[in-house]
Amino acid sequence: MVVLAHEPGLKQAHFRKVGLPALLLLPQLLILLFFFFIPSIRALAQAFLLSDPFGATVHFVWFDNFKALFDSESYRNSIWVTIWFTLAQNVVTIVIASILAFATDRVVRFQSAYKGIILLPYAIAPVVAGVLWAFMFNPSVGPVAFFIKSFGIRWDPNLNGSDAMLLVVLAASWKHICYDYIFLVAGLLAVPKSLMEAAAVDGAGPIKRFLQIAVPLLGPTLFFLMTMNFVYGFFETFAIIDAVTHGGPAGATNILVYKVYQDGFINLDLGSSAAQSVLLMTFALLLTLLQFKYIERKVNYGI
Amino acid sequence: MKFSSIKLQVAAGTVALGLSSTTAIAQPIEVQWWHAMNGVLNERVDELVKNFNASNDKYKVVATNKGNYDEVINGTIAAYRAKRPPHIVQIYERGFMTMLLSDAIVPVHELMEKNGHKVDWNDLIKPVAGFYSYKGKLAAMPFNSSSPILFYNKDQFKKAGFEKPAETWGEFEKQLYAIKKSGAAECGTALATDYHWSMIENYSAINDQPYATKANGYEGLDAEFVYNKTLVVPQVARLKRWLDDGVLQIAGQGFSPEQLFTSGTCATYFASTAAHSGIERNSKIAWSATFLPWEEGRQPKNSTIGGAALWAIKGHKPEEEKAVAAFFDFLAKPETQLWWHKVTGYVPLTNKAYELAKAEGYYKESPTREIAVQQLSRGTPSENSLGFHFGNFTQAMFAQREEVEALFTGKKNAQQAMDDAAKRGNEILRQYERLNKGKY
Repeated sequence: MVVLAHEPGLKQAHFRKVGLPALLLLPQLLILLFFFFIPSIRALAQAFLLSDPFGATVHFVWFDNFKALFDSESYRNSIWVTIWFTLAQNVVTIVIASILAFATDRVVRFQSAYKGIILLPYAIAPVVAGVLWAFMFNPSVGPVAFFIKSFGIRWDPNLNGSDAMLLVVLAASWKHICYDYIFLVAGLLAVPKSLMEAAAVDGAGPIKRFLQIAVPLLGPTLFFLMTMNFVYGFFETFAIIDAVTHGGPAGATNILVYKVYQDGFINLDLGSSAAQSVLLMTFALLLTLLQFKYIERKVNYGI
Repeated sequence: MKFSSIKLQVAAGTVALGLSSTTAIAQPIEVQWWHAMNGVLNERVDELVKNFNASNDKYKVVATNKGNYDEVINGTIAAYRAKRPPHIVQIYERGFMTMLLSDAIVPVHELMEKNGHKVDWNDLIKPVAGFYSYKGKLAAMPFNSSSPILFYNKDQFKKAGFEKPAETWGEFEKQLYAIKKSGAAECGTALATDYHWSMIENYSAINDQPYATKANGYEGLDAEFVYNKTLVVPQVARLKRWLDDGVLQIAGQGFSPEQLFTSGTCATYFASTAAHSGIERNSKIAWSATFLPWEEGRQPKNSTIGGAALWAIKGHKPEEEKAVAAFFDFLAKPETQLWWHKVTGYVPLTNKAYELAKAEGYYKESPTREIAVQQLSRGTPSENSLGFHFGNFTQAMFAQREEVEALFTGKKNAQQAMDDAAKRGNEILRQYERLNKGKY
């Protein structure tokens, strides 16, 4: 990506007329219009309404839906849960993916086999992955749970909120490590071999080379992945939560996006659900802006 | 050129043929039914529809599985808003108020009257009719109704020196502790996924405890939950005690509580009578079932139903409405009811069907299938046991479950948990009241 930006092929000047670029953009714009802008605007409108799911009775209630959310203990709890969940998931995913990427980069034999195996979890549907994790760690029947308990550690995600949180963080990260891994492998390919070799000659071991050469040079990739991991944690982990904990016990893993689903789809409280999705989108936007403002400055794009 | 004109002629010919065939044999009027019956039950529904379609040549019901209950109600809402709703939808019992006040339905008694069907509604089993009636008139057609009963492992009870589960909670609790202590079973009971229904709602009904004011919501939208001031509080405290002592086990995600019972880990299981088929199929244990316990010194009332009912969506052509009415009429027939009761394990909806099953000797071969029916028709329902009419009942139920989990995880004590559950539930009821003021 970094290299592409310097190539002349993608410069604006290549398109002299408006017609062709507009035509090329049209499909994407239409998709955005129908699947993003129209639903977003409708959600925004719905957030100010108290309405019957069938649409028979509708009251305009100003900010009552938002007020009710901030008054609600379970919503405030859900915000904290989401923050902890996305942070933990982000750290676990990036650290493990980096280690794996660096390790497979150094392996000479069967490299592609390793890469293939690491990518496998990405092909598994989130719900299936969730059910597998839930089963393996189930305190009454799960093999991993028995293993944990054999060390005398208490383990019960049904009754212990931290256990449940740990479990969904692991499951969500496991599913997303492959994504980060692909980008990091590609990023490592762009790290000049000569730099690595020079460092090796100077006596830097693999860990030192990883931390002092690979990581700084991977800055743009890591920054991109961090943003993507937040988006993933915010919006796409819903299926895993649904399969592993249902947001429980007592709301310990009830992240915002799962609450949106539960209040909208199961409880049919459309106004509150819409207000929640507006807030969730605002949080995500703010977070991305903050990341660009404060972290991107420290990222070095020139190799 | 020539070729294409031949093709055209052929096409025109087939169209003409098609037309003439429709006029020659009157096509039956087709109505769509969206349901949530999965697996074996889906096959039963298909069979039911096939029987109805074969029984007459005027009407044809097309049954489509639309996923689970939540998916069916969401699909219905989406279709209704897009002005292309099906004719009949199967909605879970908790969705009663949502459907009743939706302005999207034709009440069943009205539909049947208008289309000249005489149905003896008084013959319906009381808590079934009571749940789905509004101001004494049936709003939805009861379809799959169940009630929770107590399944137990006969060998484990015998091993601990008991013949069967005791009738009252106090004695039953002692039995479970004895079973655990004697090593007859690892745990006393497995917590069902729908424990709020069997252990809290039905507990209130059977022990004649008010769940909410205004006759559990039957007399107005301004009802308020009061279960935090009744025997429900010691009841959930009891569950917490069992959990701490290992008498109660939670299966958790990725594993079904029914398996804890059928594998012999837990000695009892509180579950819907519809669990019969699963238990019969999967268990290698000697099991039986009995009535839900009650508190000592109380005259036990009837239990309440769970399951779903069929709603007729309004705005369809009169002849299609006739088809819906004819199908409902077919459903209400004692023979249909008896067949459905036998093949699914749900309860028969009318006393006639129940009598028919008795006369056939059905309960001699499967005595446990009679428990739910007897439990439902026990005594005269009081306003605490007729059923529950709460708007957004699903939402209130989930809030309650979350608070029970807070009790289970040790964050709150029983009184706090139930106070908070009732408080959250009341906020939900007030929002529903605000929305629907003057409509009920």
